[in-house]
Amino acid sequence: MMEFLSYGFIQRALLTGLLLGATCAVLAVFVVLRRMAFIGIGISHAALGGVALGLLGGVSPLVAAGVFSVIVAWIIGWITRRGEVSEDTAIGVFFPTAMALGVALMSLSRTYRQDLLGYLFGNILSVGPQDLWFLLGLAGVSLGVLALLFKEFLFLGVDEEAARAAGLPAAFLNYLFLTILAVTIVAAMKLVGIVLVSAFLVIPAATGQTLARSVHGMVLLSVASALVSVVMGLWLSWLWNLPSGASIVLFAAALFFLSYLLGSVWRRDSRVSR
Amino acid sequence: MTICVSSEERAAIQVEDLWFSYGKRQVLEGVTLEVSAGSFAALIGPNGAGKSTLLRLLLGVLKPHGGRMSILGQPPGKQGQPIGYVPQGIKLPEGFPISVMDVALMGRYGDLGLGRRPSGKDRERARGALESVGMGELGDRRFQDLSGGQQQRVLIARALVSDPCLLILDEPTAGLDPAARARFYSTVCDLQRARGLTLFCASHDVEDVAQHAQTLILLDHVVRAAGPPRDVLASQALADVYHFPPPHVHENSVPQADQGESG
Repeated sequence: MMEFLSYGFIQRALLTGLLLGATCAVLAVFVVLRRMAFIGIGISHAALGGVALGLLGGVSPLVAAGVFSVIVAWIIGWITRRGEVSEDTAIGVFFPTAMALGVALMSLSRTYRQDLLGYLFGNILSVGPQDLWFLLGLAGVSLGVLALLFKEFLFLGVDEEAARAAGLPAAFLNYLFLTILAVTIVAAMKLVGIVLVSAFLVIPAATGQTLARSVHGMVLLSVASALVSVVMGLWLSWLWNLPSGASIVLFAAALFFLSYLLGSVWRRDSRVSR
Repeated sequence: MTICVSSEERAAIQVEDLWFSYGKRQVLEGVTLEVSAGSFAALIGPNGAGKSTLLRLLLGVLKPHGGRMSILGQPPGKQGQPIGYVPQGIKLPEGFPISVMDVALMGRYGDLGLGRRPSGKDRERARGALESVGMGELGDRRFQDLSGGQQQRVLIARALVSDPCLLILDEPTAGLDPAARARFYSTVCDLQRARGLTLFCASHDVEDVAQHAQTLILLDHVVRAAGPPRDVLASQALADVYHFPPPHVHENSVPQADQGESG
């Protein structure tokens, strides 16, 4: 483990991974509460369209993907709010369209296969010093907004009607949430890749939910499980030469199953003793 | 706890010639009604009659297309005093571990303002509100582990945390069994008497609300009848709205078509 920690590229990967993991883990609580898992999948796949546009247009793929994903997230949110098409359907239209656009555009560039695989499955070990600051900045801002407006997002997720009646700016907060979601997804793309980022937006919260007795407990457990998954996933990836995204998500899933079993035993015991 | 002053002439809710439509579907067609301060008024009517729409307009969630409304003497959303809102229920994802205390605390979120955290004092108020509905012991329990009736009492507590003088309730007893419904109404009626609260409650349980409310308002896009429960139950309008045989055939009964509906 000590040798593992002594490399500069590993330290960068760990630092980025830990902050992004924590951000995803907090977001995941709201994704679970608002049943938005499918939106996470939709936005993450749409990001590929942005990456391709960036590669072709000579803009940083991360920045292009960020802008593109935020726009797609807003359109999905706007169409859903109008109520003529269901959210599932709106995502079902945008997710393959944007991804197809990404694949088509990328095939025009020479580095197609290599680039595509990198974005689909992530490679956090390739985070350079410049990317590091950018990703840390994105994750930091997202985490800050989530911390500041935690109670508002919670109220909105639990009972939107009552939140609006209490005077909360529901539309603004909903778009803000979609923006943070899109930005975090794009940042986390480097960590676990497009295909796996949506898993990271659900699994930690699912783990937290099985054991927690309050929302704050759920957030703490979700963050803890994400942090442990990032460290252990990266270590296993280094040890056995696995893709980092896959090993992180696999470790997170293992934690979920463990806590699920623990949670059911615990609940059964507490029912017996009650 | 605030004791709300109720004077005979002051109306808690005044609605005049209110119009609203969803696209081309006209929902409210010139609704006029008044609820006097400190009273329990129940809004009845079939599905699609515009009950929930009217409540959402009063809460300021929707904007009317015509007409005037005043709540506690001010336009919706502008009244300096909080309004308590009790919904039909809240639907959480299976297993979401929000505690009873967390739900009750939400009643303070509107007043606290963006980005400010609830303080110990807010928790104290939430605890007091939970106690006032007989749920003081259950603050640490998961909201989802409670029975439907207990969940509704927590939602009343949430609405009470900000010490409102007006409670707006939207089908609060839908899906509850008769015993839980009876406990629900006795809780809100006790609160009404103790605090001088005004209650405005949309409901399908015509029989239940007729027993507890001082006024029934029958809505079917317009107000078809309003007054003491006995008069409204005996009115031809009720029979017409529910497509029901004339009232003299079923003197004290509830329209059959309405029973068993949940909202």
